[in-house]
Formats: sequence, C-alpha cells, structure tokens
Amino acid sequence: MYRVMLIDDEESARKLMKASIKWESLDMEVVGEAASGIEAINVIDDMKPDIAFVDISMPFMNGIEFTEIATNRYPDLVIIIMTAFDEFEYARKCVSLPVFDYMLKPMVRSEVTEVLTKVKKRLDERSEKDEADNEPSGDLGSSSIDQIKKYIENNYTDSKLNLTSVAQNFGFSASYLSRKFKQETGKNFVEFLTECRMNAAMKLALTNMKMFNASNEVGIPDPNYFGRCFKKFAGMSYSEYVASKHTS
Amino acid sequence: MGQKNMQGKRIKEKVQNSIKRNALSRKLSGVIIIVALILIIVSLVFVFFIITMERKQYAERESENVLSSLSTSIGSDIDKYNNISRLIMIEPQVKNYLKADKRIIDLFAYSEGARLGTLNILNVTTSVDSVFIFRNDLEYSTTINPLEYRLDWDRIHERDWKSGLLANKGSSSLSLNGNGAIIKTKPATLLTINRAIYDNVSQKQTGFLFMNLSTDFMEDEINQLSSENICICTSDGIYLAGNIKLLNYYDKAYTYDEITEIKVSNPKDAMTISGLKVRGFPLVILYSITNERRLLPMELLYFIIILPIIYLVCVMVAGSFIKKNITNPIFDLTSEMEKKRQKEVIEKIDINLPDNEIGALQESYNNMVDHSNLLMDRLVEKEQTLQKAEMRVLQEQIKPHFLYNSLETIGFLAIDAGADKVHGALETLGSFYRNFLSKGDREIPLKREITIIKDYLSLQKLRYGDIINDEYDIAKDTEDCIIPKLILQPLAENSIYHGIRMKGEKGTIKISSFRTKDELHIVVRDTGIGMSQEQIDKVLSKEKSEISEEFSGSFGLWGTIERIRSYCDKDDVVRIRSEMGEYTEIEIIISLLPKQWKTAGESRRTTDQEEKVVGNTEENSNVQSNAD
Repeated sequence: MYRVMLIDDEESARKLMKASIKWESLDMEVVGEAASGIEAINVIDDMKPDIAFVDISMPFMNGIEFTEIATNRYPDLVIIIMTAFDEFEYARKCVSLPVFDYMLKPMVRSEVTEVLTKVKKRLDERSEKDEADNEPSGDLGSSSIDQIKKYIENNYTDSKLNLTSVAQNFGFSASYLSRKFKQETGKNFVEFLTECRMNAAMKLALTNMKMFNASNEVGIPDPNYFGRCFKKFAGMSYSEYVASKHTS
Repeated sequence: MGQKNMQGKRIKEKVQNSIKRNALSRKLSGVIIIVALILIIVSLVFVFFIITMERKQYAERESENVLSSLSTSIGSDIDKYNNISRLIMIEPQVKNYLKADKRIIDLFAYSEGARLGTLNILNVTTSVDSVFIFRNDLEYSTTINPLEYRLDWDRIHERDWKSGLLANKGSSSLSLNGNGAIIKTKPATLLTINRAIYDNVSQKQTGFLFMNLSTDFMEDEINQLSSENICICTSDGIYLAGNIKLLNYYDKAYTYDEITEIKVSNPKDAMTISGLKVRGFPLVILYSITNERRLLPMELLYFIIILPIIYLVCVMVAGSFIKKNITNPIFDLTSEMEKKRQKEVIEKIDINLPDNEIGALQESYNNMVDHSNLLMDRLVEKEQTLQKAEMRVLQEQIKPHFLYNSLETIGFLAIDAGADKVHGALETLGSFYRNFLSKGDREIPLKREITIIKDYLSLQKLRYGDIINDEYDIAKDTEDCIIPKLILQPLAENSIYHGIRMKGEKGTIKISSFRTKDELHIVVRDTGIGMSQEQIDKVLSKEKSEISEEFSGSFGLWGTIERIRSYCDKDDVVRIRSEMGEYTEIEIIISLLPKQWKTAGESRRTTDQEEKVVGNTEENSNVQSNAD
C-alpha cells in the first residue's frame, strides 16, 4: 500500500478527493491531510507519505514553498501539484521543481486515477531497485538526545523545523531518530516540538497577545493549525485560555 | 542620473533641431551677402572699364571738337581776309596807282586814292591792322599812320622777300610782319596775307600786296571757346595767340593735317597736348587737357557711387522679401508643428500664413492631420467593435440557461437521493448566479446586491461555517438606492480570505447601510486580522503598481475601489478603518445626486466602456475564486 497525503486549504476539496477516488484499487490509502504548508511540515514525518497532492495556493505557506522544502528533505516523495486555471501561470514559474505532474482544478476522477496509475508504476519500479532499507550506522546515545532536545528548545520558532530537518542536521536517518527519541524521552518528536511551542504560547497568552501573533511567535504561522494544536494541548481554545487567565 | 542624461540628450537634440531649423535663413543671408558682394565687385570692375574707355574717348572727342572747330573758323577767317585782299587787288584806284607812271603824274595823289579805295573795302573788317601796296618800283601806299610802323628796307631789298611772292603767281600766302619787313612801333606780331598783284586785263605783274592782320581775331575765336588751354602758333613755333605756356611743348609733329596727341609727363603739369595744323595754312593750334581735367564727366562719377548702393538695396529688398515670405512662414509652421508634437496632440495648425505655396503646406499638413485622425477614429471604432464582440463571446460562454438547467437537474438528483442539504446548496448557488448575472445590468438596487452577498456568504459558510458569522443592518430607505453591481461581494471575499481566515478564529462579517441627505453609506465590517496603515494606503492608492505581487490578494479590493471611483467620478469614495488583530471596516460612500456625465454623451460612452471592462474582469475573477 502506498501512502497518500492531501495538502489543500479547502477542507471540502480534501474530503471530496478522499471520498471519490477508489484508493484501494490503486493499492493506495490516504494517510493524512493538511490545510496548509505549515501543518504539512509538522505532520509529514508522522504520515510518512509516498505521494503528496499539493494545492498551489494556500495561506501561510503556499504549495511552491512547501514543495521546495519537501523535495530537499524527502527526495523520494512523489509530488503532484494542483492548481486552478487562473493560477496556472504562477504554477509554471516553478516548473523547474522536481514534481511528478501538474493537475488542473477542479479535479476530475478519471484524470486523477490516470496520474496515480503512472505514479504507482514508478514507485513499483523503484522499490524493486532498492529493497534493502539501509539502517544508518552511528549510535545515538542519551547525551545526543539531550543535545537534540536543546536544539529543539532553541529553534522551535523556526516554522520549517521538523523531524527530518533535525535528523539531517545531526546526520541520522529520520526513522532512526524518531525511534531513538521515543525510546529516550517516551515522547514522539512531534509531540515534544509541539509541547515546546504550546508552553511558549501559554506564556504569551498571559500577556494578552492575539492568537495570530502568538502563533507566529512560536513557529506555527498558520493560526488555524495553531488553534487546533493549542486546543488539543490545553483542552480549551486559545481565546478561552486567555479569558480564563484574565479573570482568575 | 539616467534622467539627467536623458534631459541632457533632449536639450542637445533641441539645440541641434534649432540649428537645423535656422540653417535655411542663415544660409539665405549668407547667400544674399555673397551675391551682393559679387554684384558690387563686378559692377565696379565693369564701371571702371567703361570709365577708362569713356575717359579716353571723352578727351579725344573734346580735343577733336575744339581743334577742328577752331581750325575751321580760323581757316575761314583767313579765307575771308584773303577774299578781301583780292577785292583790294582789283580796286580801280589801287589799279590806277599801280599802273601810274611816276614820271608823268604825281604819284602821291594816286597813292592817296589807293589808300582811300583800300580803306573803303576794309570798312567792314575789324582785324586788319594795315594794308601795304607796293609798286614794282617799291613805291608803296599804306592805310596806316606812318608813325605806327617802320619799314625794314634791308629786308625789302633781299631777293627772297619778293621771290616767294612771285613764285606764287598771284595766289596769296601767309607770312609774319609783311614777310619780315614791316615792324610795328608798338611791338606786335602781325599775320600777313601777301601776294603779287597782277593786272586782270594784261595779266602783268604790277605790284605786291601785304595785308597785315592783328592776332586779335584769333584771340576772339579762342575767347569764344572760353578756354585757356589753347595756343595758336606758326608751323615754325612762333607764338600768335592764346596761352603762351603751351608753346614750350611745341613739337614739329603737330604740323600735320591730323590731330596729334603728345603726353607731357612733367610732374608740375601733367597733361596731354593735342595739336592740329590749320588746313591750308602754316598755323598750328595746340590744345591741352590736364590729366585731372580729362578724368571723368561728373554724371559718370555719381553713377559709379550710386550703382553699388542700388545693388545693395535691391539685394536687401530681395533678402527681406524671401525672409518675410518664405523662411519666416516656414519657421512659424515648423515651430507650430513642434508645439503640437510636444503637446502630443494631433491637431490642425491654424496660424496666419500667406495664401501661397507655404499656405498650401499648412493646408496639406492639416489634411494629413485630418486623415490620420480619421484613421485613428476608424481604429478606435474597430477596437470597440472587437471589444463588443469579445464581450458577447464571454457572455455566450456563461450561458446562464445551461447553468440553471444543470443546477436544477443536479438538484432533482439530490432530492431523489434524499440529499436535501445538497438541494438547498444548489438552490443558493442558482440564486447567487441569477442575481450575479442580473440580466447584464451594471447598476442594481442595493437590496439586490444584498441578496447576492447573502447567497455568496451562505455558500461560503458551507465551506467555512465553523468560522464565519454574517450580520446585516440595512436601513429601509437605502434598499432602493442604485449602486454599481458587485461592489460588496469582493469586499466580503476580502474579509474572509484576508481578514478572518488569516486570524484562525471565528469571525463576523457585518454589512450595514444608512443614508444622509444625498449620500448612501455602506459599511462592511469584519473582525479579522485587520489592516496596517501601509496596506490601507496601498489599497487606496490610485496606482495599480502599488499593489505589489506579495500583496496581490488585495487586487480585487483595489479594483473594486477603482470601479466605485469611476462610477462616482471622484476619488474620495472609500474609507477604511482598522485596528490590527481587531477589525477592518470599509465604508463606501455613493453620491445619490444625478451625475453630470450621464447627460454628456461622448464622455459617458468612454466611461461606460471602461466600467464594462473593469466589471468584466471582476466578474471573471469572482467566478474563478468561487470555483476553487
């Protein structure tokens, strides 16, 4: 089964796509969605997708910026750009990016299926080539994990920070780092990073800072995604949290 | 820097142009001056040549006139006296005196008779000094008082005294002072006509006659010419009458029957002396012309001075004529053309030009302007037709019937499948498009616009239902106010995409309206992320370029503001108030007074056109943004 990720700011578009394509028959499944490039960067390491549909016009981080980052960090990721007709000229500017294909919105099922068939063929060929999953050598001791934790605490305001970027920075494979990190700290890498950011956000909330400003400050410049993270972390929305702290 | 260079270049070009433009008039004055100089030089040379010729001829003519007339008159005078001497010769008493025998009669009485007879003949003459009649025996009778003369008997007895006369056989000859024998007591030179006397019957020589003429008659002739430059002398160079100084320059060469000229280059008195022998007599007339005197006749001098002045005047008149009638009008014409060019208008030139070829030049320029304006109009018309055609194609593409029918069909399919929610959504979409297209009207009542916005927001709420609230507060008296179509939808769209969604929190869009005496106010307020003053300034800017690429999301807002501006025909139609992180409030103010341009046909047409185009792109982008 190949893993598919849908990155589009329109929830209905994601839902429609997820529902309308017969993924099983293509030997694929949709493993995750993101409503912006920011959210995608944060969750992509958990999803480990083989294929990503990326909408070119998204707020906070558009498809082009995301593709630039993703092609660096995930060289094997198959990226399909989705674009509306009036953005097509814009999309052509980034033709140099190593994307698999460009598709015009609104999406038509038959066309999507056709492209995905080609993708599957490509991926099948590739997996035959390098069957062996090379586990990189190099031992990751607890001291190193501490170093990495420190690194995260110092750099969480960088909105492009994620597991893979840290792993590349320290010279490990992402999956290895992920496993080791969980072993050492008992937490997911993403959980730890989000925790750092949320703690910082709670401090900012005490100063009555607006949510969109706080989200920018802590490295999640997409306030929608930030809001969801905060609610999950604190059990209440940011504004409720501000209000509760204010009254008490 | 670049601008400075450009300016410098432009100035340089201007200077070059003006040089080129002035070249003709400068060349013209140059040519005129050169022509004048050449004319003056040529005429001077010509005149000088003529003068030299003329001077010579004039001098020749004058001396010829003087000399020949003098010689003629003196010759005829002498002839006259010669005739008188002949009369004396045949006078009876003279004859008797000559024939009388001295031995027989008293000669004295005869002599007295001869004297009286002679005097009688001389009665009418003036210049005869005396007449001597000699008998062959040298007795003589004379008409003059013996005290006034004496006879040189030595001379008389010389052989050649008589022999010359006898040799002449009766015809007369000239000598001085009775062939040198008669000496006046009061010294004077006498011109003597002498001859031998023959008896007319016997043809025998009977005596000699000496008629002495005083030189007065020559002086008289000279005086008649009132000239001091004449001298008369014998062919031996002995002075007779006139200016004695000229005798110094006497030359044998003058004793010919033709006029002889000799130049005297004596520094004291440089002159030319012409001489002529009196025909038939041993007399020479000298006539001198000083070199100054023979220079020029005065008229010629005046002519020489006046001629160049006339040339100069003529050339200047011609030059000013050309300047006034050719170069100046051409200059006026070109400078007028240049003015039009700088104003960047294609207009006729209307300056006062003479009705000639240059006027025709203006005429043909104006014709050209007419023609190019005609072409321009045609082009514009063509462009407009093309635009209209394109509009029609676009409208065709929308095909509302097809859209409505499809929506209805899908709606039925939804109800059939029990999806009431889908049917409701399709209904809203259909209603939105019906109002959105509004039968092609560009201006609609406010309540219609509110319906559009309600449909639009309810469709958007299907997508963003969890984050958008909408509220309306429309004053009753504003519902029927006419506004340009689709000015609120872009504002609402802006509120969603650039206000509320950017904030990540639930937001409210509130649309309200009220009216003052003659203004309609519509306020769109959202509780979104807000706009910075910089953003507000950019959106309100009139320059399209101010809307930079990173900010292109607000282009729809900017375009809408431009549309409202062009509809109201003024700039201050939109006010934006905002607080970052709190709200944005856009207020549109539309004047309800009738607009002037609605009656001004031509300008209305163009305004309409513009609005159409802007409106058209707006509609397009709206359709697009709804689609994604």
